[in-house]
Amino acid sequence: MAEHTVKAFTEELDALTQEVARMGGLAEAAVNDALSAVVRRDTELAQLVMQRDARIDAAQREVEKRAIKLFALRQPMASDLRVVLTAWRIAGELERVGDLAKNIAKRALVLNQAEPIQLTRSVDRMGKIASEHLKQVLDAYANKDVQAAIAVWNGDDNIDAHYNSLFRELLTYMIEDPRTISSCAHLLFIAKNIERIGDHGTNIAEYIHFLVTGEEIATQRPRADVEAGD
Amino acid sequence: MEAFSAAGSERGVVSSGMMSAPVVSAQAGSLTDAQIKVSARDIRVFYGEKQALFDVSIDIPDRSVTAFIGPSGCGKTTFLRCINRMNDTIDGCRVEGTLQIEGKDAYAKNVDPVILRTRVGMVFQKPNPFPKSIYENVAYGPRIHNMAKSKADMDVIVENSLRRAGLWDEVKDRLQQPGTGLSGGQQQRLVIARTVAVNPDVILMDEPCSALDPIATAKIEELIDEMRENYCIIIVTHSMAQAARVSQKTAFFHMGKLVETGQTEEIFTNPRDTRTQDYITGRFG
Repeated sequence: MAEHTVKAFTEELDALTQEVARMGGLAEAAVNDALSAVVRRDTELAQLVMQRDARIDAAQREVEKRAIKLFALRQPMASDLRVVLTAWRIAGELERVGDLAKNIAKRALVLNQAEPIQLTRSVDRMGKIASEHLKQVLDAYANKDVQAAIAVWNGDDNIDAHYNSLFRELLTYMIEDPRTISSCAHLLFIAKNIERIGDHGTNIAEYIHFLVTGEEIATQRPRADVEAGD
Repeated sequence: MEAFSAAGSERGVVSSGMMSAPVVSAQAGSLTDAQIKVSARDIRVFYGEKQALFDVSIDIPDRSVTAFIGPSGCGKTTFLRCINRMNDTIDGCRVEGTLQIEGKDAYAKNVDPVILRTRVGMVFQKPNPFPKSIYENVAYGPRIHNMAKSKADMDVIVENSLRRAGLWDEVKDRLQQPGTGLSGGQQQRLVIARTVAVNPDVILMDEPCSALDPIATAKIEELIDEMRENYCIIIVTHSMAQAARVSQKTAFFHMGKLVETGQTEEIFTNPRDTRTQDYITGRFG
């Protein structure tokens, strides 16, 4: 697209998008590190994830500050309006992703004090899918690639299906050996957090669709996690 | 949803070339005949040899504000001046195509342009009150058209017109003072009162706020918003923000062509044509 006649406007929009991309990088790293802390029973890493959440929160405030300034001083319209609005909304989603990663890290601290259990691997698999989704959706944002965003949007079922299957496995585990209930409950919450990270990725995909096309994604996404509740 | 259509075009068709129809945004449907106040088909305007407008076709709804936007020289004012035949007054200016107001040809041989201009009032960029009293400014039109039988009748017309223009409370105690003594914003509202005094159907406004400060501008915009309940209002403005604030429909002109029309909300969030997009986001070189 052509540059604005006022070049500073283009620069400010670019800087806003870059700040969201940087925030996306932080959120993605937080999710990956939190999952590693669970799988590798790495207490130190878990603590690091918890500390670093403040950076993601600060990045969100920065995005909001820049967006407010753009609204007030530039009155963005059409595609520019969508750029600012989308940055604002995605920053909100990423902040939640950061909180969920922090919560996973917190639970890793507790799990690391109990006996290791087999099911962390299933959680790991599910986590990898969610993390990959997040990466793909952030790439789609950076490239303004609506097809890639739609692919992520459609792929969320996969995470939901994993969550359902893990839910059943954990139930079986808990019934078989009540001593694992505490750890399994934490794993269940972790799985739920991962599933929510997937949902936030899906929301971001919807915003990218709006950013590029100016339209909402038309159809309702089929949901697969009815069984395990919401 | 209230509809707005560019005549003769399929919805969402992207225009290319000189003769094609403008883009109509997806949200816009077709207007029924009853809703259409002004209907233009293939309007072409020439100043001597030079063509200023190319096949403009548009239906403009009643009781609604339609904004014409576009860069200087795009033809928006030229088209506006076709609607009340102001272009007739320019030597060497030729208008082709059909223009109907309420289904009647505004350029038919039996139409008196002076009468037409009472039905299609116009407000200009610079307030232009007559060098007469406030009262006489408003009474002038009704008097020459014999609209009042008595002084009492005229008093009612003047008061109602000044009320409609949101000016009555500010001037009711000094109606005999000169209109030129008012502030710029008040003068513009006086001109609007003068325009509505002859009961027009359509009010054309050519950058009515460009000489006014933000407070006077806000008062005119509020007035436009109130007046749209009773009139078909068409406003030409260089302020995109003003078009967005006051209009329900927006038409974008570029290089003598109507490029895109649609619901204002749609035009300012998701325009279809790249040229519209570039213009409203400040990307035109």
